[in-house]
Amino acid sequence: MRWLNLLKANVRMEYIEMKRYLPNTLALLLTFYIIFLAAFFGIMFVGDPASFDANVQYSIVSVVFWSLTMMTMNFIGFSVVTEAMRGTLEQLYMSPMGVWKIMLTRMIGQFVLQSVLMTLLLFAAMGTSGQWLNLNPMTTIPIILVTMVSMIGVSYMIAGLAIIVKQIQAFLQIFQFILMGLVFIPLSVAPMLVFAPFVKGVNMVREVMINNLTLTQMPWSDFGVLILNSSVYLVIGLFVFHLCEKIAMKKGLLGQY
Amino acid sequence: MEKVIEVKNISKTYVKRKTKESITAVNDISFDVYRGEVLGLLGPNGAGKTSTIKMICGLLAQDQGSIHINGMDVRKDRLKALRHISAVLEGNRNLYWRLTVRENMEYFAGNRGRSRREMTNQIEKLIIQFGLKGKENELVNGLSRGMQQKLAIAVALLANTEVILLDEPTLGLDVEISYELREILKTIVKEDRRTIIISSHDMPVVQELCDRVTIINQGTVIVDEKVNNLLELFETRAYSIKLGNPLTENQESQLLSTFPLCTYKRGPLQALVEVNLERSDDIYDLIEIFKAERTIVESIDRASIDFEQVFMKVVKGERNYAMA
Repeated sequence: MRWLNLLKANVRMEYIEMKRYLPNTLALLLTFYIIFLAAFFGIMFVGDPASFDANVQYSIVSVVFWSLTMMTMNFIGFSVVTEAMRGTLEQLYMSPMGVWKIMLTRMIGQFVLQSVLMTLLLFAAMGTSGQWLNLNPMTTIPIILVTMVSMIGVSYMIAGLAIIVKQIQAFLQIFQFILMGLVFIPLSVAPMLVFAPFVKGVNMVREVMINNLTLTQMPWSDFGVLILNSSVYLVIGLFVFHLCEKIAMKKGLLGQY
Repeated sequence: MEKVIEVKNISKTYVKRKTKESITAVNDISFDVYRGEVLGLLGPNGAGKTSTIKMICGLLAQDQGSIHINGMDVRKDRLKALRHISAVLEGNRNLYWRLTVRENMEYFAGNRGRSRREMTNQIEKLIIQFGLKGKENELVNGLSRGMQQKLAIAVALLANTEVILLDEPTLGLDVEISYELREILKTIVKEDRRTIIISSHDMPVVQELCDRVTIINQGTVIVDEKVNNLLELFETRAYSIKLGNPLTENQESQLLSTFPLCTYKRGPLQALVEVNLERSDDIYDLIEIFKAERTIVESIDRASIDFEQVFMKVVKGERNYAMA
């Protein structure tokens, strides 16, 4: 029950903040739509007409997932820095629930809210291009949920680093492009990326949406790899976060900005 | 009385990042806080108060020693210990300025695992108690500093913990708001009987609210005593002596050499001596000085002393308080 109350409080908080900063949220959504349009018109005017449909579908899924991963993962880093600047980070550390749980509920809240926005972006992109993808929620949602676990793992690493090194914004800006690479480069071109976080999941979602696969048509080994990848990143993420917390408490960095 | 907080031999040293120079902020401090007690943690700037408070809250790890809250080790069982403690560390900076008064209260309660429904009555009660009625749906950034400070304290009370730490609760507030806040805190102390640690430079607040003070200077405890005892102790030794004629030069130099910290104010016909008589024999030495030139002693009164003066005397080193 305490967990549920914590989750409710943080999802509500994220929702309120999103509402209060609505112009920012809409501007961001518009930015991602413009990026999609750039990709779409690029394919239309420069790309190979024979593979036009496939390329557009590929870019729709990639832009939407890039936006989702970026918004969810960078969010927590910015969130820690903002809390430290405001002076509320130490108050979060006064909660007997533990900051890792607060961060987790915030990430879940952010993921849910961003998913709603990204669904809007997805439909806008599909409507603009006339390319309607197979959404198949029964297949895509479980894959996305497991993929999200690895995103949470990486988010914990970012949050941990942000607690120690408050000037992390420059890294987060570079990180956007790393995420772009991870989402856009197909696994068939760079198979080693299967070890990177969430790449396998995005690849599987692409398979479902573009090639109309269902859950049962996908190899079980793919699910195995996805679950293993997500679990490993979650464990590493939590370990790094707790380690950074310890360092911050030892050096007195929690209240510093 | 039952101990709620036990601080034993804690030390904390920081290392400067650039120069690698070590700075000892807290050096082997020990003190206890008892159930229902209001303790003032005092000291000049840089004395080590904030580091001590942060170590009690588990926000800063001590290098040595231990801190127990209700028997729970803050270092080993931090989250369990935090169930018994809440704090206002940076006043109005502890709040979310883009949330309303009520949203802040609900959010912080939720962060402790409490539901909004469960907290409704208590939130309403605190809104009224802290004079925030009518402001509950306003954004915090639109409130005055005094209101923000009140809200920060209300949020800490909402946690329903036995121990509350208040770091500079009246810092930067005008006299009126400071007084109002002091009255609210007095009511809380009286009615709730919570264990409170107040760190403050506002001595009237300390004198009015605290049962006992622990004064820290340069990282070590220099006084741990009840407020009333300290006041009494310094009051009994401080005398104001009105003389019917001024002292001669010889008497004056003898007075200042025997009582270097005394003040002598010479008027055209009269004079005033303010002196601390720390030893029981001091009064005879003083009378001898007056007697030598048959100086007329018009009155001898106990000088009234407030806690600010006591604090200054202790910090400046007039600390033979243990003798009494």
